[in-house]
Amino acid sequence: MPKIEIPLGDFLPLAELENTDNLEKLLESLKAELDGLYEKTVKIELNDTNRPDLWTTEGVARGLRCWRNGAESHLDSMADPVVHIDVHSDLEGIRPFIAAFTAIGWKVDDDGLESLITAQEKIASGFGKERKTAAIGFYPLDGICFPVSYSVTSPETSFQPLGEETEMTLSEVLEKTEAGMKYAGLLSGFQKYPVLTDNTGAVLSFPPVLNSHATGRVVSGDSRLFCEVTGTDWHTVNLTATILACNLEDRGAVISPVEIRYPDGDVTVTPIIYRDTLTATFKEISEMIGTDAEELDIEALLSKMDYCGIEVGEDSVTAVMPPYRRDGIHPRDLMEDIVIAIGLNNMEPILPSEYTVGSAAPVEILARSVKSLLVGAGCEEIMRPILTSFDKISTRTRTPELPIRISNPMTAEYGVVSSTLLPALLEVESSSGHAAFPHRLFTVGEVLRRTGEALCQTQINLAVSTGDGDFGAVHSILGIICHLRELDLSLEPLDDSRFIPGRSAAILINGEEVGILGEFHPGVLEAWGITVPVAGFELPLESLRV
Amino acid sequence: MSETVSKDLHPLEKTLLNWLSEHGPGSDMEAMAGTGMDEGSYRRAFQWLLSREMASVISSEKTVTVELGPVGAVYADKGTTPELALLEAVKNGTSSLPEIQKNGLFDRAQWGSAMGALVKARILKKDPDGLSLNDPSGGVFPLIWSSVYSVIGRGEALHLSTLDENVAAEVSNRAPKRGKSRAEFVINETGSSVIEITSSGREALESARGKNTIGILTREILASGEWKNSSFRRYQVDIPPSRIHIGRFHPYAMFLDSVRNKLQAMGFQEMKGSLAESEFWNNDALFMPQFHPARDIHDAYYLEDGIEVEPPSRDLGDKVRAAHENGGSTGGRGWEYTFEWARSLKAIMRSQGTALSARTLGSNPDIPGKYFGIAKCFRYDQVDATHLPDFFQVEGIVLGEEINMRHLLGLLKLFAIEVAGATEYKFVPAYFPFTEPSVELHVKHPTLGWFEMGGAGLFRREVCEPMGIDVPVIAWGLGLDRMALLALGLSDIRDLLNPDLARLREMKSTPEKLLGSGNNA
Repeated sequence: MPKIEIPLGDFLPLAELENTDNLEKLLESLKAELDGLYEKTVKIELNDTNRPDLWTTEGVARGLRCWRNGAESHLDSMADPVVHIDVHSDLEGIRPFIAAFTAIGWKVDDDGLESLITAQEKIASGFGKERKTAAIGFYPLDGICFPVSYSVTSPETSFQPLGEETEMTLSEVLEKTEAGMKYAGLLSGFQKYPVLTDNTGAVLSFPPVLNSHATGRVVSGDSRLFCEVTGTDWHTVNLTATILACNLEDRGAVISPVEIRYPDGDVTVTPIIYRDTLTATFKEISEMIGTDAEELDIEALLSKMDYCGIEVGEDSVTAVMPPYRRDGIHPRDLMEDIVIAIGLNNMEPILPSEYTVGSAAPVEILARSVKSLLVGAGCEEIMRPILTSFDKISTRTRTPELPIRISNPMTAEYGVVSSTLLPALLEVESSSGHAAFPHRLFTVGEVLRRTGEALCQTQINLAVSTGDGDFGAVHSILGIICHLRELDLSLEPLDDSRFIPGRSAAILINGEEVGILGEFHPGVLEAWGITVPVAGFELPLESLRV
Repeated sequence: MSETVSKDLHPLEKTLLNWLSEHGPGSDMEAMAGTGMDEGSYRRAFQWLLSREMASVISSEKTVTVELGPVGAVYADKGTTPELALLEAVKNGTSSLPEIQKNGLFDRAQWGSAMGALVKARILKKDPDGLSLNDPSGGVFPLIWSSVYSVIGRGEALHLSTLDENVAAEVSNRAPKRGKSRAEFVINETGSSVIEITSSGREALESARGKNTIGILTREILASGEWKNSSFRRYQVDIPPSRIHIGRFHPYAMFLDSVRNKLQAMGFQEMKGSLAESEFWNNDALFMPQFHPARDIHDAYYLEDGIEVEPPSRDLGDKVRAAHENGGSTGGRGWEYTFEWARSLKAIMRSQGTALSARTLGSNPDIPGKYFGIAKCFRYDQVDATHLPDFFQVEGIVLGEEINMRHLLGLLKLFAIEVAGATEYKFVPAYFPFTEPSVELHVKHPTLGWFEMGGAGLFRREVCEPMGIDVPVIAWGLGLDRMALLALGLSDIRDLLNPDLARLREMKSTPEKLLGSGNNA
């Protein structure tokens, strides 16, 4: 979940709050949590991954304003564009989309600049997929000579990147700068790299990596800004530009759109304002919230959630989502906002009236019966993780069947899925030489087995082992379980790499081969560092069903 | 008390009582000598009898005794001390210490300290001409010889109080508390008592005489009837028991079982599923878009190439694809992207228990119906005190024609009271990719305080519609790890699955401790 840490001095006035007293409670309406309150900043966790607008100071502040004061207007009266960007055809397949706007009249201060940078980073990394689908650049407007050109250029083109002392080629930027190394992957395989230049030919930025030092450095005191968003997904690019435009408008800037001229002659004025309209019937609202929706002041409720164009009809309500949101993809989403506005704690909880019969899974009932017998036989239950290592299952224990591997393990220690439970018991044995003997251990757990045709299957197994115990010790435990469960047990000699030759056997229950039992080979014990004789058996729990 | 006690005497007690009865009051030394007990046995019998009021102390005193130390023993062998030898030599007219030392009787240090002691006591005088006699009596030193060395031999002791005051002071000076290996004298302090038998001691002795005392009851004693003429030695019953280890269920398994029982009692049926899932059931079926941040490669464990999970039917696959791409017939517009079937088929370790619920939705569930699962889930996290490579999630669904938000809140309230034994609870808006609306349950647990106990929501239509489910469905999940740790007295989640048997044997078996009592629903 995204977390933002924002300056209180910037946030509180924007949110029209005197102090942070009621902040935790207020944040609940935004699915947000107060994560930390410090002297000068506040840390907020935003739980809704589909609301990038909230990952910014302005977004959270706006949400809290509307919750108390009702809906606001957004980008309603933008003037016609006065500047434009020419997009070149070679960007297709590299980074084809761009949206831009200008913001004039808000004087950037230190806290505001910090909020701007936080928003830029959070949105581009989370929503923009580490700058792949959207990356953001801010510039002082007056340093740019329009029209701007968005094109591709040779990796040998050079400019002075923001934060660097000297001019570098684009290749050098990718090799030597921190940002370059981080985002080089987005451009790997391309012969040419995207670049924004102005009408004088000056490089404005090398998206999605770095702005230019000369033209791309916003400082406190600037009050005329240019913002562009480039990326590989049009809706992500445009929504990002919209969110930023709404944010700067909230701060008092006048937003003007920028015209984007595509090589095929298409012309788009950005940001394009989304007006996602959602409709829900009173019937479905009533059925969902469990009370009569017609008695609610739905207009007031939706206004708290910053909806506009609310039309309450005979049977239904229609409303327009604010332009910085695109997560309304089903009437249910409108209904959830109504529920949040009502307040979950204002709804009376009731229990379902329909009767249902509870039951444990049959295999759990079986497990309980078998485990009770084992406990009665003096066995101690063991629980170990399912992820384990190749070393434990194959190298040390010499299990003939290979476990299924994880293709992207975090560490080799958890690199395979258990296919057998005996190694877990041997691991306990190897860690428990100091615990009083004898050790009678059992474990019931899920394992993942290979089945035919490259498929795999989950199976619940039972394994039992006796530390400082021989074949007879473990055989008699299996024997009494089978006897008491009216199962016909027999053993057939079967050599197995885990056990001493001549001291292992296939377990047959009611004539069917189901598992293996034996005295572990001293080589296995040595590999585990075990200093007492150990015997064990393993079989699928289901084979003990009567 | 005496009625029952009198019939039961330990052999040591009996021996000492016998002696006291015949001999009359006696001191420790006398009793030990008389009974032939070693000091340890005597002390035990003595303490037992006192505590049972079968004997009483008439008098007790502290005795300070002196015996020869290792150096003193050497002097006794030589028949003189350095001080006396030095006095003797000076009396005989030798005034030079080096001259005196020539006889080799003692070493230089011993001669030196003897001279120092004699000079300090003004018995000898040291001039440039040599040593001369100042006090011909020799002061305390001849007395030490006559009253200590002459009286006791090696290994014997003498009461310090019987000595002349000056002798006792000098002897004490020469009995250092440390460095006893070089001491001339050793002083011991001991307590000594005189005890006598009491009337209840006599009674006990009377009734014990002529009867055997049985220690361990054996088959032979039972068979022979010998017990009829014997008394039983009483055991000391208030000592701690010896520790045994027993067969038992793993406490964490018991905790999970108690949760299972709770849910069963609330009318839930248990679901079981596969450890490995296709991304289809783990994510797609739950309407989590394939570009969702939680579906990053680093958020799930992928199985080795070539291993698959049985694919869903193509028909179901197409419906889910449509829900993602354009909403299909769900009433929404979908996520507006191109769905990749190949991605759906990738096999991963189940990352959320909700995959089980998706499977249940897709296999013709009961309506009305309530389901739960206690499912192992796998998250791509570093293992630490709060993360295991695999962990249990408790979650499920409730389906019903009339299910609405208020039922969802009612269910969460029930969990708060029944499962957590919570005294207070509240609902907070939440976000889960597959539910809308979504709610978090925060509870005030009697011990843990406020914590986020679980989440729930109504499954989105995009989840239910492709499965052919047209009634509302509540999806819910509970986070019980913190409760499990508290119930079992642990603070590190890794201890739940510890491989050390000695530690496992110490794990408390109190799984039901923190669950709600069930009386206050």
